[in-house]
Amino acid sequence: MFDNLILSGVPILSIICYVPLAGALLLLFLPKDRPALIRQLATGVALLDFLLSVPLWFAFQRGGDLFQFRESADWIESIGARYEFGIDGIALLLVLLTTLLGVLAFLSSWKAINTREKEYYVFLLLLQTGMLGVFMALDFFLFYVFWEVMLVPMYFLIGIWGGPRKLYAAIKFFLYTLVGSVLMLLGILALYFFNAVGLLGWEGLGNTATFSILQFHEIGHLIPKDLQIWIFLAFFVGFAIKVPMFPFHTWLPDAHVEAPTAGSVILAGVLLKMGTYGFVRFSLPILPAATLELLPWLAGLSIIGILYGAMVAMAQKDMKKLVAYSSVSHLGFVMLGLFALNGPGVNGAVLQMINHGLSTGALFLLVGIIYERRHTRMIADYGGLSAVMPVYATLFLIITMSSIGLPTLNGFIGELTILIGAFNRTWWWAALAGLGIVLGAAYMLWMYQRVFFGPITNPENENVQDLNWREIAYLVPIVLLCFWIGLYPRPFFAVLDQPVRYVVEKVDPGLGARLAGPASAEE
Amino acid sequence: MSNPQEFLLLAPEILLASAGLLLLLIGTIGRGLSNRQSALVAVVSLMLTGVDLYAVRRSVPGRLLILGDSFVIDGFAIFWKALVLIATALVILLSIRFLEEGGYRAAEYYSLLLLATSGMMLMASGYTLLTIWIALETMALSSYILAGYFKRHLRSNEAALKYFILGALSSGILLYGISLLYGAAGTVQLGELSRGLADAIAAGNVLVPLGWLLLAAGLFFKVSAVPFHIWTPDVYVGAPTPVTAYLAVASKAASFAILIRIFYEGLGSLQDDWKWILAGVSAATMIWGNLAALTQDNVKRMLAYSSIAHAGYVLIGVLAASEIGLWSVLFYLLAYTFITIGAFAVVILLERKEYAGETCADYAGLSQRSPFLAAMMVIFLVALTGIPPTGGFFGKVYLFAAAVQSGWTWLAVVGVVTSAISLYYYFRIVVYMYQRDTTETAAVPLHAPALVAAIAFCAAATLLLGLYPEPFIQITKSSLIALGGM
Repeated sequence: MFDNLILSGVPILSIICYVPLAGALLLLFLPKDRPALIRQLATGVALLDFLLSVPLWFAFQRGGDLFQFRESADWIESIGARYEFGIDGIALLLVLLTTLLGVLAFLSSWKAINTREKEYYVFLLLLQTGMLGVFMALDFFLFYVFWEVMLVPMYFLIGIWGGPRKLYAAIKFFLYTLVGSVLMLLGILALYFFNAVGLLGWEGLGNTATFSILQFHEIGHLIPKDLQIWIFLAFFVGFAIKVPMFPFHTWLPDAHVEAPTAGSVILAGVLLKMGTYGFVRFSLPILPAATLELLPWLAGLSIIGILYGAMVAMAQKDMKKLVAYSSVSHLGFVMLGLFALNGPGVNGAVLQMINHGLSTGALFLLVGIIYERRHTRMIADYGGLSAVMPVYATLFLIITMSSIGLPTLNGFIGELTILIGAFNRTWWWAALAGLGIVLGAAYMLWMYQRVFFGPITNPENENVQDLNWREIAYLVPIVLLCFWIGLYPRPFFAVLDQPVRYVVEKVDPGLGARLAGPASAEE
Repeated sequence: MSNPQEFLLLAPEILLASAGLLLLLIGTIGRGLSNRQSALVAVVSLMLTGVDLYAVRRSVPGRLLILGDSFVIDGFAIFWKALVLIATALVILLSIRFLEEGGYRAAEYYSLLLLATSGMMLMASGYTLLTIWIALETMALSSYILAGYFKRHLRSNEAALKYFILGALSSGILLYGISLLYGAAGTVQLGELSRGLADAIAAGNVLVPLGWLLLAAGLFFKVSAVPFHIWTPDVYVGAPTPVTAYLAVASKAASFAILIRIFYEGLGSLQDDWKWILAGVSAATMIWGNLAALTQDNVKRMLAYSSIAHAGYVLIGVLAASEIGLWSVLFYLLAYTFITIGAFAVVILLERKEYAGETCADYAGLSQRSPFLAAMMVIFLVALTGIPPTGGFFGKVYLFAAAVQSGWTWLAVVGVVTSAISLYYYFRIVVYMYQRDTTETAAVPLHAPALVAAIAFCAAATLLLGLYPEPFIQITKSSLIALGGM
C-alpha cells in the first residue's frame, strides 16, 4: 500500500511540511475568543501531521536509494537554486521526532497557555513547518531559507509567552543564531562559487551553478584545504551556536528558562538537532580535509562541553536551568560521536540526537507540569513529592534513568555506541567523556532525590494533584519509545546504517575501511 | 542633428511634466480640484506615462542615444523609470488621507510630486553630466518644497530649510566637479568622458582626481551615504511622512541610477581609483547607519538611519562590477521600494494630528489593538532585516553573493554582521507591538482604503519577491543587457 503511495508520485514530504502552515492560515480565520476551538484544531493539525509522517517509517526502503521520497522542481533558475526535498535515514528519524514532539508540545500547551492563544498556536505551527523544511531540504539554499524562517516564530514564542526575562532571552536567542546563520550564508556562497566559476583566486570547477547538496557532497574532496577551512569555520559558527557547543552556549540557558514549556520542548528536542544535523549533513561530508585538520579542536570543545555542562548543571537550583545545562553536556556527547568520524561514533551520535530529543523533551514537559501546579521550579521548594504524586514520580524516574543512560533505556545505547566510536578514534576521548556520564548520573539523581524523596517539608506540596489523563497521554509515548530504543535498537540502526556509512566514507574513507565498526559489520 | 521624432522617445517625461503643470494651473482656477480629484488625476497621468513608457520600451529594443547624444534610452533607464513611477503611485496612495487631515491644499502637492518624478525619469535617461545635473535639480527643487509642505509646522520648515541649504551645497559641489572634469576631458558626454579622462590622466592632468572626487561627493550626498548623510535623519523626520517615503525610495532609486551610470560609463576608465573610495564609503555607511539606528526612539528617525544603512548595502552591489552585481542592485532596490513604502504606510496610519504617534511607545500593544497592521509591520521589518521568506532576504543574498564572487569578501562580512545587528533595532518595534501592553485599547481605524490597499499590496509584493523571485530576476537581468561597457 505504501509503495503505491510513492509510485503514485504524491509529494508526501511537501504535504507533511506544509500541513502545519495550512493549519496556521486556517487558524487566522478563527475568532480569537474561542480558545478551546483554537487549541483543539491546532492540536488536531499537529496530530494529522504526525499521522501523515508515520507511513514514512514503513515506506522507507532500507538499503534502497540513499535519499528517498525525492521531490524536485524549478525554483530560482537564474542562480540554480531548486526546490529539492528528500530524506535519508537520518532525516527520516528527525522528521518523525519533529512531528511527534510537535503533537506533545501542542498537548502540553492546553493549560499552560491562557493568553493570546490564537497567535501562540499560529506561531507554533509555523515553527513546525520551518523545522520540517530544514530536515527535508536537499538544496542548500532552500535549507537556508527554512533555517532562518524558523527563527521568527521561535522568537515570538519565547518573547511573548516566556518568563520574566523574556525580552532579553528572546532577542539574545535571535541575535546569536542570526549572526551564526549569516556567516554560514557566506560559506554557502563560497561553496556555490567554487563549484561553478571560482572565487578569490581559487579556480572554480566550472560545473553548472547549483546549490544541490548532493553535488556539493560529490565535489567536497576537490576543494583545496585552505578554502575548506574557511568554509568550515563559517559553517561552524552557524551550527555550533545552534547545537550549542561550548563556548557558544550562553544563549541556551536564557532561552530555555524563559521559554514556555512547549517552546523548551521544541527548542531542546528539535532545534538543537538542526545544529548537529548541519554538521553531519554538510560540514563532515563536504569538508573532510578541514574536519580532519581541526579535529583536535572540535573534539576538545565537545569534551569541554560535556564536562562543563555537567558541572554547571550540578550547581543549578532551578530545575529548568539544570535540564538546560544538561543539554549542553548531552549535545557535547553527540558532537564527540560525530567527530569520532567512524561508524559507531556517527551512528551513536545520530541515535543520541533522537534520544536527547525524547528524554530532554520529556524532562521539560515534566518540569512544566509541576510548574503549572506550583508556579515554581526551584528544587528547594520541593521534597517528598513521590508520596503525593506517585505516577508523576514514576514517570520522572524513568525519564531520569533514560537521561543518565541506564541499560534497557535509550540513553544507554546511544552513549555506549558513541563511547565505542570515540574509543576507536582516541582512547582518552572516551575516558574523559565517560567521566561526563558519571557526572550526569550525579546531578540527575541528586535533583531527583531532593525533589521526590524525604518528608514533605513545604506544606504547599501536600495537596498537589497527580497527573491527569492528558498529561499521561503525552508522556506515555515517550516512555514507550525510550524502552523500545533501549531494548531493541536494531530497527533504528538499520535505518541509519546506510547514511552513516555514506558520511563516514566521505569524510574519512581510509578509516572506514580500517575500522569496520559493529554497525557496518552487521551488513 | 537631432530629429524631432526623437522627442517622442521622451514623451513619457513630457507627458508627466505636462500633467504636473496642468494640475498646478487648474489649482489656480476658482476653488481648484479637491484632494481626491487631484490624486486621481495624478494617478491616471502616472498610469498613462507607464503605458507610454511601455510603448517606448517596445520601440527601442536595444540602446539608443537621442537628442545629440545627450539622452539614452535603454533597458537600464526604462527599469528605473518604471520603478520610480510605481513608487510615486504608491506614495500618492499614502498621501490622500494625510493631506486631508493636515488640511493643506492638495493640487500643488501632487503637481510637485509629478514634476519631481519627471525629473527622476530624466535622470535615468541622462547621458551627459549636464542633462543629468539639470534633471537632478528638477527633482531636488520639487523635493525641497515637498519637504516643507506642512508650512504651519516648525519641523517641516526646518526640514525644508536644511534640505535646501545642504542640497544646494551638494549641487554646487557636483557642478564644480563636473566643470573640472569638463576642463580635463573636453566633454560632458558620458561615453566620451571615460576616454577623455583616461587621456587627461595620461597627460598628467592633476585636476581629474579632484573633479571626480567632487562629483562622487555630490552623488554620495544624494544617496545619503556616510559621511554625506547628515541631512537625512532631520529631513526624514521633519518632512510629511509620505514625502519621507518618497525621498527614501524614489529619490534614492533615481540617485542610484545616475550614480551607477556615471561611475560605470563616465568614470569607467578610473575604476581602479574609485573602487577603493566606494568600498570605504560602503563599509562606513553600513556600519554607521546601523549603529546610529540602534539608539533611535522615533520610528521615522530609525527608518531614516535604516535607509542610510541600506544605501551602504546597495553600494556593495555597485562595487561588485560583475554582471550579478548590477542586477542584484536593481533587484535590491525593487524589493526595498515595496518594503520601505509599506513600512512608512504603517507609520502614516498610526500617525495622528500630523506628527503625533511616531515614537516606539506609540506602537505598544498594537498586535492586540490592530493585529492586521501589526502583522504587516512584522513582514516589513523582517524584510528590512533580510530574513526569508521576503524580498529583502533575496536582495541581500544577491548583493553578498556578488561581493563574494568579485573578491570583496570583507565587505560581505561587514554586510552580514551589520544586518544581523540591524535585527536589534527593527525588532524593537516588534517588541513594542507584541510584547508590551498598553492602556490604549482602541483599534487603529482603517478608514483610509487607499492606504490600506497600498500596505496590502506592498506586503504581498514583499512576500512574492521572497517566495518566487525568478520572474523579477529575469526583469532586472534583461534591464542590464543594454548597459554598455559592462
